[in-house]
Amino acid sequence: METNLVVEGIKFMFLGMGAVFLFLALMIVMMNIMSYIIHRFFPEPQASVKSTVAPEEDNRKIVAAITAAIAHHRQG
Amino acid sequence: MKNSIIKLLALFMLIGFGTVYANDVQVEVQTTTVTEVQIDAQAPEAAAKSNHMEETYKTQPFMEMIDGFLHSTGISALAEPRADEMNAHGEPISDFHKSWGRVIMILITFLLFYLAIAKGFEPLLLLPIGFGGLLANIPLAGIGGDTGFLGIIYHMGLSNQLFPILIFMGVGAMTDFGPLLSNPKTALLGGAAQFGIFGTLVGAVALSQYTTIFDFTLQQASAISIIGGADGPTSIFIATNLAPELLGAIAVASYSYMAMVPIIQPPIMKALTTDAERRIKMTTLRHVSRLEKLVFPILVLVLAILILPDATPLIGAFMFGNFLKESGVVDRLSDTMQNALINIVTIFLGLAVGSKLAADQFLVPDTLAILLLGIIAFSVGTAAGVIMAKIMNLFPGHKVNPLIGSAGVSAVPMAARVSNKVGMEYDRTNMLLMHAMGPNVAGVIGSAVAAGILMSLFR
Repeated sequence: METNLVVEGIKFMFLGMGAVFLFLALMIVMMNIMSYIIHRFFPEPQASVKSTVAPEEDNRKIVAAITAAIAHHRQG
Repeated sequence: MKNSIIKLLALFMLIGFGTVYANDVQVEVQTTTVTEVQIDAQAPEAAAKSNHMEETYKTQPFMEMIDGFLHSTGISALAEPRADEMNAHGEPISDFHKSWGRVIMILITFLLFYLAIAKGFEPLLLLPIGFGGLLANIPLAGIGGDTGFLGIIYHMGLSNQLFPILIFMGVGAMTDFGPLLSNPKTALLGGAAQFGIFGTLVGAVALSQYTTIFDFTLQQASAISIIGGADGPTSIFIATNLAPELLGAIAVASYSYMAMVPIIQPPIMKALTTDAERRIKMTTLRHVSRLEKLVFPILVLVLAILILPDATPLIGAFMFGNFLKESGVVDRLSDTMQNALINIVTIFLGLAVGSKLAADQFLVPDTLAILLLGIIAFSVGTAAGVIMAKIMNLFPGHKVNPLIGSAGVSAVPMAARVSNKVGMEYDRTNMLLMHAMGPNVAGVIGSAVAAGILMSLFR
């Protein structure tokens, strides 16, 4: 029992909290990068439907919009 | 007319007797042949066997037999413990643990039943654990021993950490990372709540070092403080790795505190926040695409592989379950993980943990210390999450309601529901549930990382 357990515990604490935060911070950075890439290069189909609000009231476009809305709803 | 009826009846009776008689004869013939055959077959061995029989069985006077039976009843085993009865590890047990200890433990399991059924505290786990504890405290039967069925279940999946991993798979298949993906910075709250683990670790070793109240090694202190992660499977995983002798108390403490989240957390949350902070409304969450949800599990797993391979058993199983769910093409498998598999494993896990509630292992001073340190770890974790949310509000950007900080301890989804409920008390229109799910699932990842670090430090 020569080693000071409290000092060991404090070392554990700093290392542990440091690693947890490092991991989660890296995770946040990677998540942001991933979201950016996915939204930039692989946008979801319904996103484009939303942006082009049909200028001419064409039946087929309305059907497409409804289908997309249903798909979106089903996805949750 | 009458005549014909009588004749008919007589005919039936004749036929009936005839068949019955014939059957009897047949049966008799069969039995005699069978017994003859058996006797023939046994005849040569009979002499050899009779010697063996004499060794194991002696004829006794009837009174002695009654006396022997009375000594093998549970009442006499509890009242006058046998000197030769050993515990599950084949070590001698004190008389107290064989008699009153067992009675006390059985009463404690009744208390667990009450909490689970009448109060609704985590019944899915407390009932199997409680019943396992009841069975493990039966004298003479040795159900919790190596050859008893609880002992077999324990060795099947708990001592080798299989069950917690399987539970993690199921939890992964039930988890939706959408709220976390739409507001990534809330993951920091899940990190801060892990301070409950490491803060308590320091406290536990300090008390062991400077006082004589208890005497925990660094391994034991780590296994106890992981209760602060509020994650049952992780606690069991670490306890079986670092301090298997404390497993029963740690598992019971961990699950009971998870069940008591709605009682423990709100006072701490209210004490640390101002009225204005509790009314903060958070911006609505953006839509998360399917591809993001699909890539996320792989992303976290790759990070774990690169930074902390020791955490990969837990994170790997968790992300496997989640990946199957988000892939959308194996609904059958993800459905099995979420329901059938996790239910079966929960039964086994509960019983196996219950087998550690044997009096000689549970009724020791250490258990009280574990329960005490566990609740401290839990409270510190909750407080750290709330304080972290307040620190984040000092920086520019969208404000965070500090009430969701408490959800950074895992306890999915109970902790998030508590955040939502406390928020609603102050503003009926403030729906915090989805915002709190972010730190909540980040807390699961955070405690798995903390577990991985503890494992790597003792490597």
